[in-house]
Parts: sequence; structure tokens; C-alpha cells
Amino acid sequence: MERVHFLEIIVSRLLRTGVLASGFLMVAGLGLLWATGDASCPAGVMSVSWMLFGDPFLEPSHVLFLGFFILIATPLLRIVASATAHIVERDIVFALLNVSVLLILAVSFVLGVG
Amino acid sequence: MQLLFTLYALVIALGSGFLGALLGLGGGVIMVPLMVFLLGVPIHIASGASIVAVVATSSASASVYVRDEVTNMRLGMFLELATTLGALTGASFVALAAESLLKTVFGVSLIYASLVMWYQLRNNRRSWVNKPNDWLAERLSLGGTYYDEARGEEISYGVTRTLDTFGISYVAGIVSGLLGIGGGGVKVPAMNVVSSVPMKAAVATSNFMIGVTAAASALVYIRHGFCDGFVTAPVVLGTLVGSYVGARVTGHLRGVFLKRVFVAVLLLLGLRMIASGVGF
Repeated sequence: MERVHFLEIIVSRLLRTGVLASGFLMVAGLGLLWATGDASCPAGVMSVSWMLFGDPFLEPSHVLFLGFFILIATPLLRIVASATAHIVERDIVFALLNVSVLLILAVSFVLGVG
Repeated sequence: MQLLFTLYALVIALGSGFLGALLGLGGGVIMVPLMVFLLGVPIHIASGASIVAVVATSSASASVYVRDEVTNMRLGMFLELATTLGALTGASFVALAAESLLKTVFGVSLIYASLVMWYQLRNNRRSWVNKPNDWLAERLSLGGTYYDEARGEEISYGVTRTLDTFGISYVAGIVSGLLGIGGGGVKVPAMNVVSSVPMKAAVATSNFMIGVTAAASALVYIRHGFCDGFVTAPVVLGTLVGSYVGARVTGHLRGVFLKRVFVAVLLLLGLRMIASGVGF
């Protein structure tokens, strides 16, 4: 029972950290965009690498989109964390469940169908 | 003008984030039409903002629900397999789907679910029927326990007809893949009515799951450029705050009250879905 509780604390903290970090970046990005008037979001298709590394790094619109990216990555990181925890606990069925969900998401992402 | 727009978007997002956390729905079904009709945002930009906001609803509310141990994480992780598989299936067949027929069928099933829940409320003083785990739930230890603040007691429950709920979640996943909407309106009734999960646990567990499917779609939306930072940022910020507050409020509400509100909202959503299916 103790270990289940442990997983819940990890997941809850991970979610809160992700939410707070992305919220902070979004507020900062929006503030910078207003202050500088620089709304140079690349038009059209946006790459994952631009969202991560920007061009240049941390210019106002990149700060904003980095916030979105961290928010979107948070539930996925949650699955990675619980898969790891289940492997450590030797709860093979649930470890496999988590890994399968990640694989299905990866397949949908590659196929571009979401 | 820009400031006023941001303020309106914030208010709409606060409200739908609050309701979303309270009812285990993504909130997109409430948010998208409001943004399109009140603020004149193009629909694909509104959908893009809303799908990112659903991730926010899920993560912000789950950070509270999981900590308070209302979320049934094991059940959530088990059903996640069904919803993600379903979403992949649905998205692969998106070109073949007759959207109007699908919306109508989906709307009818939402109304059916709300009627069943209403009938159950009339016959039962609690928000669920207490039953023991079935064989699969026993094997995977899916039953749960949480402390109900409103009742001031610890609630233990079993999960019944686990495979049925797994199947319904798969169908919910297909529908969300096809129509690009979250499946909370299906998952909550399935857990509550079919599997006898208490309303609060069903809401929290649905919120927990929604983030994963929404995250996958959100990335696709952003990659296709359907994301306007000036629209999405205030919407997401408002949703974050709204759903965090919503998740904190839920603990103090009675499950029966939550179920009543859910029945009403589900009925409205069903009607709206049918209306849009037949072309209004």
C-alpha cells in the first residue's frame, strides 16, 4: 500500500511542476510579446524542434511555445514516470500497460493522425 | 481591443476549466462554440486552443485529485489502453466517416447515458451502487478507496463489468479520434453506471485520462500551425486556474449533486451534438 501512495505523490508532483513551469513560461511569453510587439511566430507548420530550441532560443514567441510544449509533454512524462515506477515495483502488467500506451501514442504521432 | 479580447478569452476559459474539472469533461465542447460565436475566432484556431486547454484541465485537476487519492490511477491506466487504441483506430478512418451521422449517433448515446444516470439517481441515495470487484478487477486490483470530504468518511468501492467499460472506452476513443473531441462524456457514465465507480472517483479518473489523448492531438494541431499564441495562451492560463479551483471545490461537494449537474450538462451536450449532426 505504501508504494502505491509513493507513486501517487510522484505523479501529483510531476503534474504540478509541469503545470507551474508551463504557466510561468506562458505568462512570461505573453508579457514579452506585448512589451516588444514581436509576434514573429513562424507561420504555418511548426516543428517540434522549433518548439524546443527556438530560433533564436527564448525569443518571446519561443518562450510562449516552449510553455505549450512543456504543458503537452506533462501527461506523457507522467506515463513514463509510472512505467518506471511499475518496473521498479515489478508490477509487470501495469508496466506493460504504460509502455503500450506510449507505443500507441508514438505510432499515432508518426502517422501524424493524433 | 487586444486586451479586451484576452480578458474575454480568460473568462470563458476560467468557466470551462472549472466545469471540466468538476465533471471530468475536457471542456472543449463548451469552449469552442463560445469562442467562435462570441469572440469570432476561426474554428480551427479555437479547436487548437481548446485541445491544448484540455491538456491543462487534465494536468491541473489531476495534480489535485491524484494527491488527494480520489483518482483511481490503476483503473485510469488500464482504460487508457482502450482510449488510445480507439483514438488511433478512429483517426485512421477519419476520411471514411460520415461526420453528421456520427454526431447524431454520439448525441443520442449521450442523452441515453444521461437518462440512465438520472434513473439511477431517483432510485439510489448515493452517487453509485456499491458492488465488489469482478474477476478482472480483482486480478488487476482495480478497486479503490478515497476519503470523501463532504461525507467525512472513507469510501471503498469495487469495479464491476470491467471488460464492458474497457469496450465502451475503446468506442469512446474511436469517436474522439473521428470527431476530435474528448471522451469524458462517455467515460464518466461508463465508469459510474456500468462499473459502479463513485461519481467523484469517476470524474477524477476521467480527468486523469483525458490529458494523454488530448496531448497527442494537441501536438498534431500545433505542428499543422493551428495554434495562435495570442488566443491559446490566455485560454490555457484561464483553464489552468479554473480547473485547479474546480478540483479543489469538488472535494466539498456531494457525489449526488455532481451527478445531477453531470446529467444536465450531458443532456445539453447530447442535444447540441444532434443539432450539429443534422446541420443546425
